[in-house]
Amino acid sequence: MSFSGNVRARRPASPPAGLSHSSGHSTNTSVPSSSTDKQSQRFPHPREEHLDADARRAAASKGFGPASARHGGKHFPTGGISVSSGELKLLFAIVVVACAVRMFRLSKPNSVVFDEVHFGKFAGKYIKTQYYVDVHPPLAKLLITLAGWLFGYDGNFDFKDIGKLYENVPYVAMRMLPAGLGVATVPLAYLTLRALDCRASTALMGSLFLTFENGLITQSRHILLDSPLVFFTALTIFLWTGFCNEDKHKPFTTSWWAWLSLSGLSLGAVLSCKWVGLFTYATIGFHTVFQLWNLLGDLRITPRLWMRHFIARAICLILIPIWFYMAIFSIHFAILQNSGDGDGFMSSEFQHTLKGRGMADTFADVAIGSKVTIRHLNTQGGYLHSHAHNYPTGSKQQQITLYPHRDHNNEFLLLNATQTGASGDPAVDWLAEDISYVTSGARIKLRHIATEKHVHSHDHRPPVSDVDFQNEVSAYGLKGFIGDANDDWIVEIYEGDKRDKESHKRVRTLRTHFRLRHALQGCYLFSHKVKLPEWGYEQQEVTCNKNAVMANSLWFVETATNEKLPADAPKVNYRRPGFLSKFWELQKVMWTTNAGLTDRHTYDSRPDSWPLLRRGINFWVKDHHQIYLIGNPLVWYLSTLAVAAYIAVRGFLILRAKRGYRDFDNTKVVKYDSLCGFFFMGWSLHYFPFYLMQRQLFLHHYFPALYFAVLLSCGVFDLLTSSLRPRIRLQIAVVIILLAIWNFWILSPLAYGGDWTRGKCEKAKWLKTWDFGCNEFHTDIAQYNIAIASTPQKSSVPASFATAVDGNANHAAKESTSAISNENKAEPGKDAFEGRPADEVPVSSGAPGGPGGVVKQEEEKVVSTVTKEGEKEKEEEEKKGPVSAPAAEDKVEELKTGESRKEDVKSVEAEAPKEAVKEAEVKTGEVKEAAKEDEKKEEVPVVKEDEKKDSESATSSSSSASSSSTSTEAAETEAAPKKAAGPLDQVEMEAAKVAEELYPEAVAGAAA
Amino acid sequence: MSSKGKLRQRNPQPEASTSNYEYDQVQEDEHHADIYTSPKSRSGIEKFFEGSQGSIIVVSALTALAFALRFYKISHPDQVVFDEVHFGKFAAYYITHQYYFDVHPPLAKMLFGLAGWFVGFDGSFLFENIGDSYITNNVPYVGMRALPAVLGSLTVPVVYAIMKESGFSTVIAAFSASLILFDNAHVAQSRLILLDAALIFFMSLTIYSYVKFRKYRYMEFTLEWWTWLLMTGFWMACTWASKVNGILTVFCVGVAVLFDLWDILDVRKEGHTMDYFYSHFLARAGGLILWPFIVYLSFFWIHFRVLTQSGPGDTFMSPAFQETLAGNELLMSSHDIYYYDILTFRHKDTKVFLHSHPDRYPLQYEDGRVSSQGQQVTGYGHNDTNNHWRIIPTKSLPETGRGRIVRNNDVVQLLHMPTNTLLLTHDVASPLMPTNQEFTTWARDDYTRHNDTLFKIQLAWDAPENEPFKSKSGYFKLIHVPTKVALWTHPKTLPDWAFKQQEINGNKNPSERSAIWYVEDIIADQYNDEPADRDEDQRPVKVPKSMNFFKKYIELQLLMFQHNAGLTASHPYASGPLNWPFMISGISFWTDNDTQKQIYLVGNIIGWWTCVVGLSVFVGIIAADLLARRRAMDPIPDSVRNRLWNNTGFFLIVWGVHYAPFFLMNRQLFIHHYLPSHLASALIAGSVLNFILSDTINYPISYATSKTRLRPSQYADTGFKGLATVLGYGLVLFMMFIYIAPLTYGTPGLTGEQVNSKRLLSTWTLHFAAKKTHDS
Repeated sequence: MSFSGNVRARRPASPPAGLSHSSGHSTNTSVPSSSTDKQSQRFPHPREEHLDADARRAAASKGFGPASARHGGKHFPTGGISVSSGELKLLFAIVVVACAVRMFRLSKPNSVVFDEVHFGKFAGKYIKTQYYVDVHPPLAKLLITLAGWLFGYDGNFDFKDIGKLYENVPYVAMRMLPAGLGVATVPLAYLTLRALDCRASTALMGSLFLTFENGLITQSRHILLDSPLVFFTALTIFLWTGFCNEDKHKPFTTSWWAWLSLSGLSLGAVLSCKWVGLFTYATIGFHTVFQLWNLLGDLRITPRLWMRHFIARAICLILIPIWFYMAIFSIHFAILQNSGDGDGFMSSEFQHTLKGRGMADTFADVAIGSKVTIRHLNTQGGYLHSHAHNYPTGSKQQQITLYPHRDHNNEFLLLNATQTGASGDPAVDWLAEDISYVTSGARIKLRHIATEKHVHSHDHRPPVSDVDFQNEVSAYGLKGFIGDANDDWIVEIYEGDKRDKESHKRVRTLRTHFRLRHALQGCYLFSHKVKLPEWGYEQQEVTCNKNAVMANSLWFVETATNEKLPADAPKVNYRRPGFLSKFWELQKVMWTTNAGLTDRHTYDSRPDSWPLLRRGINFWVKDHHQIYLIGNPLVWYLSTLAVAAYIAVRGFLILRAKRGYRDFDNTKVVKYDSLCGFFFMGWSLHYFPFYLMQRQLFLHHYFPALYFAVLLSCGVFDLLTSSLRPRIRLQIAVVIILLAIWNFWILSPLAYGGDWTRGKCEKAKWLKTWDFGCNEFHTDIAQYNIAIASTPQKSSVPASFATAVDGNANHAAKESTSAISNENKAEPGKDAFEGRPADEVPVSSGAPGGPGGVVKQEEEKVVSTVTKEGEKEKEEEEKKGPVSAPAAEDKVEELKTGESRKEDVKSVEAEAPKEAVKEAEVKTGEVKEAAKEDEKKEEVPVVKEDEKKDSESATSSSSSASSSSTSTEAAETEAAPKKAAGPLDQVEMEAAKVAEELYPEAVAGAAA
Repeated sequence: MSSKGKLRQRNPQPEASTSNYEYDQVQEDEHHADIYTSPKSRSGIEKFFEGSQGSIIVVSALTALAFALRFYKISHPDQVVFDEVHFGKFAAYYITHQYYFDVHPPLAKMLFGLAGWFVGFDGSFLFENIGDSYITNNVPYVGMRALPAVLGSLTVPVVYAIMKESGFSTVIAAFSASLILFDNAHVAQSRLILLDAALIFFMSLTIYSYVKFRKYRYMEFTLEWWTWLLMTGFWMACTWASKVNGILTVFCVGVAVLFDLWDILDVRKEGHTMDYFYSHFLARAGGLILWPFIVYLSFFWIHFRVLTQSGPGDTFMSPAFQETLAGNELLMSSHDIYYYDILTFRHKDTKVFLHSHPDRYPLQYEDGRVSSQGQQVTGYGHNDTNNHWRIIPTKSLPETGRGRIVRNNDVVQLLHMPTNTLLLTHDVASPLMPTNQEFTTWARDDYTRHNDTLFKIQLAWDAPENEPFKSKSGYFKLIHVPTKVALWTHPKTLPDWAFKQQEINGNKNPSERSAIWYVEDIIADQYNDEPADRDEDQRPVKVPKSMNFFKKYIELQLLMFQHNAGLTASHPYASGPLNWPFMISGISFWTDNDTQKQIYLVGNIIGWWTCVVGLSVFVGIIAADLLARRRAMDPIPDSVRNRLWNNTGFFLIVWGVHYAPFFLMNRQLFIHHYLPSHLASALIAGSVLNFILSDTINYPISYATSKTRLRPSQYADTGFKGLATVLGYGLVLFMMFIYIAPLTYGTPGLTGEQVNSKRLLSTWTLHFAAKKTHDS
């Protein structure tokens, strides 16, 4: 990739024949490479670079040097915004259009859409100042919160499920923020293209492409982070372009510094929205390295000057973004001062800083006879704990676990094991002794105060980590029993605190980290992020490990009281971590949580499908409306095409250069190479790294890359039309823009969640792999009026879910029949639907769960079923983690069985005939649905498949011969189940109703 | 670099090459005066070693030492150590001709088999457990261990030769060789029946051949040129065929060839025509792609020729493959299945029977979901009449004859004999997995759910349409016709209400590989009789069938990839790639509690860290050179730079290509995966040492023809300081080797304190360490 620095070889635009020598000369002065240019030698690109390409060509052909422009006439501000007043009007018009497109009926889905589940909720947490943990940095969420707060959001709405109706939430204001930023992206694209010396018509096309990009529209209309991300990316690129123009002109001017530092700030903002902002960082970083490399190769630049360049960039592009990023986090911490459901992710020191989690000072000294609570250092599992329940395995003795919360069952009495006093019971003996501190090598027993049993280990395998080198740890003994040698542990001090000398020599509360070695087995008291099954209340397992990893066998005393200590004995507490350590700790937590999001999601997709727009994301379905994230096909494919064309042409040029062709002496090649090369680099850096990510990915992760690809397609357009007259060029651009708008129009009901008919929907399904459910929609647009009328009658949410699915099912059934035979035949299914009480129908809230729908609350276990495997806890983890289980991140590790492979789209295609019997299937599903609200998530994959299959059947004729033959077979077999389904349905519907009535009151009742 | 001192700046020349790829040509070199030496003016030491006599002395000393160190007490321990469990076993299978399956290609294992056969191993001992005694089992294990020891020893002179051929002086070559010679990890790895010694040996030969090939580059298409090209291809194929990681060697030669071709394409360099380029391209495609592939395939061909008997690897393969193995038990007793036969079905992975009993699913599960309350269908591990199912046709059948055979893709119903109900699945969530469908049964005479009882027999391995469905060998998936779910089970057991039997449910992923079942037995035919000899007559099963070699190869190769990717279980001694160059952790191969002996795979820490330093210095030199030339400074003589970029750069590619891919792998990784890279880093370390010691180098080293432009020659001269440095360093290295040797040779036993003292890094997890008496 050759960037601006290589442009030295630029030749003058050839003057028309017959031009006088003098005018030719004046043309030459405009040429950068001319050594007679009065500009400084080093910066051979005078500001005429900023001239519009047409203007320059015109000037050259008329023999006018741009000198005239410089001395009088138009004034071009430095830094690359060469926008005339006429263009300002154009720009204004574009912004108005963008506003109209982005904000149209912004309030329309008045219920929670997709990941609004999370980001809305986080706004609530900010307002209530409850600590939470999320995988994304806080800037965008803070902005959303600001919008919500200004318009009076009180933080009480819980954003629990997709499709939940908004109550007392200024959701329009909150949506306005991403929408506004989405609008602002449009003029930025215009200005960027102009600053890169593209023509106004090209810039117009680029900005309108972005305006009418359905995916960007959909994404920016909801409370999501991607719109701010794209905006800041675009802003960064614009500012950087401006800086590059300045840099070619004259470095170290005030405006040069301004552009550079603003670029840095904007970079910081991208980073603070989402970590994928790092790709933008890489883009700018690489370009900077290229710049510096070119400067380095310019021998007219002294090392000293080069260092100035280097340091200026280092300050503005490294220090400023980091400063900004950290500043955002300091705001984050400043707001979230209270304990919340993110506590469990953080260390004890961190938690201590949160209101509601603080701890009173405790005695510093630990002595024989102290009543202590002991905490595991490395995991957030909590305190050494026991309770009056036994292991069902191994020795069947009382459980020892790690428990994250304070509780009297965490208290142990620390006893001397070596001493055999008069009574023989160390618990009694210590009272007679002088105070004796616990030192390294001390042999102790730990007596669980509540049950009077000792912490014990023996040659049994632990319940979960059933391996040779692990021993079970139990609580053993009974009242009055002094215990046996298997209760004895040797204290080994690992490290003390630097500021507490004593803590190296003897155990001091909070300051000393120690291991406990079993006196007989030689194993170490150990815990790790493995949970006990339900009988252990999913607390963390504690074992005695012979090959213990050091970090997981370290413990410390959190509280200690001893009757013998005077009341004025020294006390300690957690050190309050400074901002930096809090900041760093949170970064690590975010990283591990993020890396743990490896589950599959119903609508996730891999990067290879993105440039081809193979699949979108179902955001929201309700009341026969649907919001589905899908791009504008024309814009999308043009951008992909441009990328492919760039790769092909550039590869060809490299080969030609290798064989001695001198293409790169051509100014046009150089100009467009550096222009397109920059966009291509941006695209690659925002796209390819995703291939390395194992976590779940979605189509919207492609948006920053799409931004670059769209600009690249504009660059290609500019090149292709560069030899045409402006009028013709404009005409071509208008035609393409109109085509794009037409594309947008076709798919716009999916972006706005608007009224649509099933027929139009089917027609709009240009790719088989687009899996929006056409059955959501009415067959006739007029039906919407009826449906809307009944909306206010909504009743309970659980019911609505059952209906929603029911509705889908019924449509699925209808659809499948209509696809195969006649619509009328589908009567049974239709009956089932219409037989429902009318008031339930419209309430159906979004059936297909977005990632948002997936993660909700701990108790909502069934969400997990969205993944194939169906392991409950896993799912909670997945998008959200921060729920509240303090050790939730353990689950991520624990549950990574990785076995769940969602069937890929292909396999589903192969099963076209399957839908035939789907109806019956869904009927039975209904039973479950009704049974429990949580349950509904379970149905999601099924419903989705329905839709897929429907789409399949509609187009199955075009599939391979074999599959179409099977689908006709299916058509034959299909009639039978449908009829058979009738009576069965009724039975099951009754069952459903029964369950529905019984369940909310008492599960037990239902079971009985 | 600073040793040069006088960095003269050229006059600013705009056309100064800014390309960072160095052309193999001497520009007007301002270092003329420094470098133009005559062979006579070198120091006496250099001249002695440079002569053939000196060189022979050095190389024989190194080789002798290598043999001594690798064969020392090779008979100890007389027990199965670490992965000898696997590779010894495979060698035994070659001797007994039993088919086995492994993720690694066969060459090295065949060599072990050959060695075992040669020393009279009968293949009866199967290396079952680590610690099994060879002595009591009469295994001539010393002979088998001798093979890697020989290959490991020969690696040392090959390393020496690589450096010599690269134009470094003898002393430097000896330095690189001694890094391998005195390396505990290489020694430990090559004294046992493990594949890495062969891998590393072949890999070093590949490097050697490629260096030789490059030296003949001006004599293109001559006999020597072709010889070394084909040699490169051959050794490359051997490397790949030894162990699956060997494919990295193929990649790295590929990268080097790409650089080479790119250079030839460059018109500015020699001005070659495109025809010239194509001929070079084709020669390399033939010599480095086609030819190695043939070699690689031929090892598999031998592999299949040798392993003709049924063995433990049968079950991995497709039935068609299994039919080629003599005495395959499954096929011997495999029969065609006729409709109305009573069968027992067994899950391939978990070996449970498809089972049902009259008990019903509870109305509601613990998590609140409800069931259909149908009859339970479970997986049951034991034989039982409740496992009996009758296979019922859905099409009309002829009265008798082969028309009644069940065939692939037939749609059938399965009748549970004891309860007279039909197997059914429907869209009700299974008890344990809400995503999967519940299986139950339905009264036979109730036709309301007829369609839900239809299942398709889909034979695995893409069997042809009319393939008969056979017991034992007929692996199949049972696909539910209406919903397309596959009958599936997983090791989780149901609660007490199902007697802790295994859950059976419908998996919606039809490509799920664990959804494969087979017919364990034909209990009775339609008349409830023992099935008669229905097909013995027409198929003489005793004779193994033949199968196209390529089909066999492709099947095996695919399975190898799948299983290799599947090795993700954690292992206590697995370690991440980042730890490797620094020797952060080793692997415990073997321990003996009585005598406190242990073998712990760990490298010579001085040598490894030298290599790391060498690597980083080299990268530093390259970066500094790049920057300097960007500023039109020319600190390094062209001949030296040429060597640094082209030759040592190649070694860097070898190092990187053998190292970096491990970062992307999710399988379990061990320190010995770094050994090939370690060898490359030893080569780099030698080159860096040469650069530090002297400005000189043997140049030019490629064989010139009459057409080759003459270049001023010069001669490497490290002088006395080179010899002293290498000798001194070698001594230190050797002492460190001796110090760690008890861990490498597993003898003598160490006391706790000695173990502690050998534990040079706290991360080494040695056994028998004395308990630290903690003081802090």
